[in-house]
Amino acid sequence: MIAEALTGRQLVLTGVTGFVGKVYLVMLLEHFPGVGKISLLIRGGSQGALRRFEAIADTSPAFRPLRERYGSRLGEFLGERLQILDADLDRDHCGLSDPQRHSLRSADLFVHCAGITDFDPDPKKALNTNTLGALQVAKLAKAAHAPMLHVSTCYVAGERDGRIEESLRVGHAPNGTLFDPQSTVDNALRAIHKPRRGDRIEVGKSLARALGWSNIYTWSKGLAEHLLASDPELQLTIVRPAIVECAHSFPFPGWNEGINTAGPLAWLISTAFRRLPAQPTHRFDIIPVDEVARGMLITTAAILHGTAPKIVQLASSTLNPLTFERTIELTGLGLRRYVRRGGGTERERRWFKHLDPVPASGGGWFGPIAIRSWIQPIRDGLSTLIEREPPTPVAEKAQSILKQLTRTQGDLDRIEDLLTLFKPFIHDHNWQFVADNIVELSNKLPPEESAIAFTLAHIDWCQYWVDVEYPGLMKWSIPILRGQTVQADLPSVPPLQITAAARVASK
Amino acid sequence: MSTDPTHTAAFFRAEGTLLPRPTSVSVAWLAANAQGIGERIVRLGTLGLSLPLWPADRRTARKLSWSALRGMSQDRLTVLGEEYFHLRLKDSLRPVGLDLLAQAKKQRRRTVLVSDSLDVIIAPLAAHLKVDDWIANRMELRNNRATGRLIDPIIGSFSGTELRSYADEHGLQLRQSSGYGASAEDAVLLSAVGLPCAVAPDRALRAMAHNHQWPVVNA
Repeated sequence: MIAEALTGRQLVLTGVTGFVGKVYLVMLLEHFPGVGKISLLIRGGSQGALRRFEAIADTSPAFRPLRERYGSRLGEFLGERLQILDADLDRDHCGLSDPQRHSLRSADLFVHCAGITDFDPDPKKALNTNTLGALQVAKLAKAAHAPMLHVSTCYVAGERDGRIEESLRVGHAPNGTLFDPQSTVDNALRAIHKPRRGDRIEVGKSLARALGWSNIYTWSKGLAEHLLASDPELQLTIVRPAIVECAHSFPFPGWNEGINTAGPLAWLISTAFRRLPAQPTHRFDIIPVDEVARGMLITTAAILHGTAPKIVQLASSTLNPLTFERTIELTGLGLRRYVRRGGGTERERRWFKHLDPVPASGGGWFGPIAIRSWIQPIRDGLSTLIEREPPTPVAEKAQSILKQLTRTQGDLDRIEDLLTLFKPFIHDHNWQFVADNIVELSNKLPPEESAIAFTLAHIDWCQYWVDVEYPGLMKWSIPILRGQTVQADLPSVPPLQITAAARVASK
Repeated sequence: MSTDPTHTAAFFRAEGTLLPRPTSVSVAWLAANAQGIGERIVRLGTLGLSLPLWPADRRTARKLSWSALRGMSQDRLTVLGEEYFHLRLKDSLRPVGLDLLAQAKKQRRRTVLVSDSLDVIIAPLAAHLKVDDWIANRMELRNNRATGRLIDPIIGSFSGTELRSYADEHGLQLRQSSGYGASAEDAVLLSAVGLPCAVAPDRALRAMAHNHQWPVVNA
């Protein structure tokens, strides 16, 4: 079904430099090399789109399956299938020249995966990229008379609870307010026109909450959905993933990039903070990134066959629910196993593996504030003591304790910021995202395409969390939270070069 | 008439032949690694109540000790079971038992580990020893949490009926099969097979072995 749909077809893909986009592209090329052509719209920056993509394909761990399969022939393999275009979603027609736009007129499908995923970014950037950028891609799709697969998020559902259907009522905000999408975006752009980034963010947050969205990210993605869906000339399918986490098996178990939702929660457990504020029975809707890629591929094929539904949610909360209570316990168990196998810090090996985290709901929500209430007087007391120039041993000891308490205070501030950011998702709401459409589509796959089947309903969460997710977070995400660098793979010698075939129609 | 060795088995009572520790130690370890500190104290307290009962009424003592795990999640039991094996059992396996196991494998017998410990602990042990099968206690679960009760049949002293059922199910000739045990509780197992062997037996089993002329292997 998928092979048949993709053979000889031209796809246009944005967001290939992101976490989900990379895995989608690599899975597509790995399993369906008979695809006709994939045009990648990439923001090139100073090095240009082609050089940027070559570096990614050469060193990103996500590309390991292709590097292992094709070795020194990878450049040739990619050159035969890819067209790489320097694009800017913030500009009209994505900043493409006329010849470049013309080369896309024969495209069969536009897959729009690009976006800013920070929870509360500068709303100016969020609207430009997540909302207006999607409209620019839609313009290209309409010019080609091609359908568009728009990757959104389940959390456009906003601040609601309960069962969330695979539907969209254009002009109805999550809190029930009726609104006009276009004028809402126009007014928002005016309202956030402020010189200071902090002020723009505060305005953006209040605009989001006014319509029932938790943060700027979900607001900007929600507005994009409403705008796209209200265009009668656009053949649109929306894919909404839930919280995207470490790969279950592809490109390899544990692969992750950047900081997702579980990363900060796992990092909290690696501090002395053991009581995690979360509603124990609420569902933590996570989906491994390779399941997202499979869902997108299956939907891609359905669109090309003309059988795709309007909205496809890729989520676990109704198929294979995982509660916060269970997640918190599994994170503690993951730490134990990780330490037993030789990982972890000295502090984790000596103490934290014995102190399992527990959920704290209701009154226990803001433990950091309670702790801060006695740290500050001690810091003040120590500062006063130091000012009085006591004997050297006393002064040195006081300095040492003050330094540790200052570090603890810094940790607590970061913890409070993180908890505030995640509170809607781990405490305030209990979403149950319906995912019937992808199950129905996946059940139609022939046996020879079972490697791409959507298997989220059958994932063993204990094995996944303890053996895949936790070690994956420790390797790929937690170092970033600790201010360290995550090593990419070493480039090949000589470095990967995509052959000349891919350079057609570049600027 | 010789019997195809693949129709014979070698039954190893894990406690005593391969493992030095009694089952109650594993329950205590699981209880001591419950999720919260308060929870650990309560669970260990429950376990402590069972200790005085062991000499007089092992069945009740066993029931009470397993109830110390009531409410523990299936996830926790699974992960801790594997951890317990790695931390407490893997490096404590008795050489005499390992030698006998190697012999049984050479003889192409079906190797079966029998234990009154929990399946979550015996499963990784069995995988490590590469035995053909294992029989252990299974905790009843409700909503993925332990009820504190074991599912029948409860493996304590392995009964003759259970052994015969197992043999019938797998087409085994018990008369040509071997059995290895270390305590008086294993007498039923050793009596049911044609080739019994007492391994570093306790006093009661040693006396029984002497009376029945069973071979004795010392550690």
